[in-house]
Amino acid sequence: MNSGTNNGALLSGKGLSKQYGDLKVVRNVSLSIKAGEFVCLVGKSGCGKTTLLSLLSGLERPSNGQVMLDGKDITKATEDELALFRRNNVGFIFQSFNLIPTLSAWENVALPLFPMAMSEQERKRRALELLEKMELGHRTEHLPSALSGGEKQRVAIARALINHPKVLFADEPTGNLDSATGDAIMEILNKLHKEEGVGVLMVTHEVELAKTADRLIRMQDGEVVS
Amino acid sequence: MNLHYLKNELWYQRRRTIAAIVGLSIGIGLLVILNALSTAYRQAGHAPLKEIGADITVQRPGDVPKDLTGVVFPCSAVTITDDQVKKIGGLEGVRGIGKGVLLWIFDPNRAWVVLGVEQKNTIGPAVLRSAVAEGRFLEPGKPEALVEISYARQFDIKVGDTITMAGASFPVVGLADASRAAKIAIANVYVPIEEAQKLAAGSSQVQSVSPFSAADVNLLFIKADQEKITNLASTLRTIVGQKATIGTPESFLKLLGSFFALSDKLTMAASLIAIIVAVLIAFKTMAGNIAERAREIGVLKAVGWTNRNVVGQLLAESVIQCFLAGIFGLILAAIAAYGLSFMQVSIPIPWDMSPTPHFLPGGGDQVFKTLSLSVQIPWILAAFGILLSVVIGGVTGALLGRNISKIKPSEVLRHE
Repeated sequence: MNSGTNNGALLSGKGLSKQYGDLKVVRNVSLSIKAGEFVCLVGKSGCGKTTLLSLLSGLERPSNGQVMLDGKDITKATEDELALFRRNNVGFIFQSFNLIPTLSAWENVALPLFPMAMSEQERKRRALELLEKMELGHRTEHLPSALSGGEKQRVAIARALINHPKVLFADEPTGNLDSATGDAIMEILNKLHKEEGVGVLMVTHEVELAKTADRLIRMQDGEVVS
Repeated sequence: MNLHYLKNELWYQRRRTIAAIVGLSIGIGLLVILNALSTAYRQAGHAPLKEIGADITVQRPGDVPKDLTGVVFPCSAVTITDDQVKKIGGLEGVRGIGKGVLLWIFDPNRAWVVLGVEQKNTIGPAVLRSAVAEGRFLEPGKPEALVEISYARQFDIKVGDTITMAGASFPVVGLADASRAAKIAIANVYVPIEEAQKLAAGSSQVQSVSPFSAADVNLLFIKADQEKITNLASTLRTIVGQKATIGTPESFLKLLGSFFALSDKLTMAASLIAIIVAVLIAFKTMAGNIAERAREIGVLKAVGWTNRNVVGQLLAESVIQCFLAGIFGLILAAIAAYGLSFMQVSIPIPWDMSPTPHFLPGGGDQVFKTLSLSVQIPWILAAFGILLSVVIGGVTGALLGRNISKIKPSEVLRHE
């Protein structure tokens, strides 16, 4: 029913449930993530992993329960407060990259900064710095259509890091990549949480990938089973 | 709103951008050209009267004398008394009056169409001054005649000759090419108005059907305030009679019969339909474009864009697209205006303004004023077109943006 609820957690969900009509997708789940911890959420397709990630990241509101980040209850936030919460505290990495097709690599990385009062030079400087870190310094002006799958995912990671998030939410980040590229992405994620202290909550159905995590949470039929 | 994003979206999604622009630009183009065409027709309606420096002509129909001999009035133009002229001169909106006396003179060997003109008046047939081809124009106080050039050629009349009409002699001082000057208020011979008044007053034929004193006239040319022409036309009928023939730009347009000439309201209705169709097309195209971007909007919201940020971006895109549509619509309208300016319109001159007796050669022929249509797009219309485009863009962008910004990112970002 719950797993690893700790005092002093960076992110915690308490009694989280999500229901669409009669369908209960997440049932009374409680969990927490410490700062810099790498947690893997595993389970079969349709077990409620992605919904739980959406609840914890503020993309979705729970039907019941509470999500706390850094001591703040985000379930009570307004839509705009939630957007600002996501902008300032969390980063997202998706299976299908979700890059904006009309923006270059550096502009995609800088996307979360666009609504912020900041000079164009500063945005570009921060985006290029991250792309350099992702070893994409030579691809900054390319559109997503000119990038390989691995490159796209590295751009997406850079985008997720642009606002120095406390937690990264990764939903099947290697799902669309070949195994070698997937390994490289996993290496980056591991490095991020070890060297930069970024908390990571990764959803995957590949148990092999989950072995690199600090902690493994299994889900089944909307519930945490271990 | 991010300019980079806006520019890239419009440029790299050219199919979407062009689709949104084309529909609206056709609507804006139609709106502008319909109004420009309507204005051009309205201006064309002024042309026959403008040639004689007037905005309104007044004639009063009457009876035909039993015998068409000597000096008679055409049945379409009988006496307008001096008192009536004075009353008309005092009406609000009347800026000036020109007078004329039109006579048919049937001498034993020849028929004359004679028009008495006020030599110094810029309103009325004295505009012939600029059409004198030989000799000079009539001078005040002198009983002299100016002869229409083709008539003079037909009857071998030259400057310096003396012509005799109804027993009165007039030295010919000039020949005028009246066809160059005007299509209404033209005659074979022009004399000072006082001479024509004398001839009419002394004619028993005239007096038998329409009592006439030496100060009366039978043609009036009125210069009026443009916005008061319609009201004046109905007031004039109360003074000179309900059967009076009042020539106005509007009456010429009615004779022209064109859709665009019929009324401002029809043009307005057609413009409105054009713009409503264009707005619906633009709205539908943009709604489709925005719906295609649901996932993208989900990404924006996921990475921290507020609803307001999303609406702002989509609003700016929509306004720019519609602004471009406005510009493109104006270009289309300008091309259409250029093409239409080659078009010629022939405005029929009513039979009762045609001075030649119908039983004389050429008298029954329909007379037309033919001119090129001057289709121009005034700045104010162009600015209105652009402003309307921007407003449409603003409203469309705000409505669609507000709607799509409510999207839940988690719903559109679930991996396939």
